[in-house]
Amino acid sequence: MKFSSSGYLIKEGLKNIWNHRMMSLASIIVLVSCLIITGAAMLLSANVSSLISSIGDDNQINVYLDYEMSDIDAIKLGSQIKKLPNVDECEFYSKDDAIKEYKNKLGNLYESMQGDDNPLGNAYKVQLKDLSEYKQTIEQIKKINGVVSVSDRGDIARTLTKLNYFVTIVGFWVVIILGVVTLFIISNTIKMTMYSRRFEISIMKSVGATNTFVRIPFIIEAMTIGLIAGLLSSIILISIYNPVRETASNVISFIGKSTIPLEELWGFILLGFSGAGILIGALGGFISITKYLRKEGGEILGW
Amino acid sequence: MIHLKNVSKIYSNGTEALKNISLDIEQGEFVFIVGASGAGKSTFLKLLIHEEKANFGKIKVNGYDLMKIRNRKIPYLRRTMGIVFQDFRLIDKMNVYDNIAFAMRAIGSPEKAIKKRVQYVIDMVGLKGKEKCRPNELSGGEQQRVSLARALVNNPEMIIADEPTGNIDPKMSFEIMKKLVEINKRGTTVIIVTHEHELVKEFGGRIIMINGGEIERDEKLPTKYHPADITDSEPSYSE
Repeated sequence: MKFSSSGYLIKEGLKNIWNHRMMSLASIIVLVSCLIITGAAMLLSANVSSLISSIGDDNQINVYLDYEMSDIDAIKLGSQIKKLPNVDECEFYSKDDAIKEYKNKLGNLYESMQGDDNPLGNAYKVQLKDLSEYKQTIEQIKKINGVVSVSDRGDIARTLTKLNYFVTIVGFWVVIILGVVTLFIISNTIKMTMYSRRFEISIMKSVGATNTFVRIPFIIEAMTIGLIAGLLSSIILISIYNPVRETASNVISFIGKSTIPLEELWGFILLGFSGAGILIGALGGFISITKYLRKEGGEILGW
Repeated sequence: MIHLKNVSKIYSNGTEALKNISLDIEQGEFVFIVGASGAGKSTFLKLLIHEEKANFGKIKVNGYDLMKIRNRKIPYLRRTMGIVFQDFRLIDKMNVYDNIAFAMRAIGSPEKAIKKRVQYVIDMVGLKGKEKCRPNELSGGEQQRVSLARALVNNPEMIIADEPTGNIDPKMSFEIMKKLVEINKRGTTVIIVTHEHELVKEFGGRIIMINGGEIERDEKLPTKYHPADITDSEPSYSE
């Protein structure tokens, strides 16, 4: 193929999209849906991984004390915790400080939850020295009289690990199945274009056009459809990412801190999705036009 | 230019379309292939452009050995010939200029060369002023002239015309045939498949009659028609 033909071939590819605009639009819509589902699965998996690693890195546990315990008993209990060999720091966290953290979320209810009406108990924020002795230290703390519960984030980590495994497996199959679906959709769109242009292809073949020359406009058409779908789906994902993240943070407070901020992701989403769209388009277009040329496309119609 | 030796073609359904055919066509010949329907004329043309492959024998066309040719070389074989179809095969949505230019674009010619060459062949086939017309705005004869111009535009060594006058009136048929003679006088080999015996008698040249897949007759008739001397020079691709 000569370089001088590239402008003509690109123009032909783009013209194909316009000439079959309804079919192209339908393909773009289905592709966008597939890419959004795939992208959402990938983003969920990435965020769950990030959560797990942040929990793993966090060596702080909360020790909740008996609600009825007096302040003096609480101080004594604190000194018992401090004596444990794996405890680095032990900071008292009063129920008044605790309720203050929920001031914004509680709104009008906050005022009615002061003093004796405060439903929360006193607690200690305990910093551990060695995470490998995490479990043993928690067991030792639990045995101290007056300790109601310990925030064992290891359980959350284990649950999240299971969730991550599930999301990864499901995500993998979602990517594979939707990848095949998108390939099928793009291939079908190109097949339609080829069918409507089979007469032109036949004339091209009769005057000596090479298969590469015949293929290129169809591949460009498929790549452009893929690119448009990739751009649209990434824009949609980028615009819904933060609202979804904030909603999740409102439901589970620690999520907000540990998820991946949009600033770190948008470039990857935009480039990744556009690239994936172009790649799937090129592959789908190439498969269908090659199959067509191998079968009936090499013949001169009706001769 | 064309060399066939003991060529046979049997289709997968068992039809023996050509039986042990041998012939040579030299550069610059004006040849009519005649015969009844199903005689094997179309199969003969299909073998020449490698639309079909012979089962036995040897075929050489414009330097290509068609029994050994690789698939990727077929486009280059076809660039050495121009095909004129009975049903014109013009693209409805393209005007005359684009229909002709399409053949050059399909082989990757630069736009500058296309402009020059297309205008030249439009003038040559007598369609000046009709460049912007769509095929449905033209008469059958004019459409066939567009088809002829498209076949000529890549400057082929050989023109293969399959029933070129089959869909047009007698007056236009004569005009098309005159054009083909003109083209032949420029040195291009012209092979015409037809069943119109009147045209064959009128224009003469080499007549190959195929019947039942075999060459029944191969003779040369005197040419009665002599086109006016062609004085205009043909632009080359490099211009």
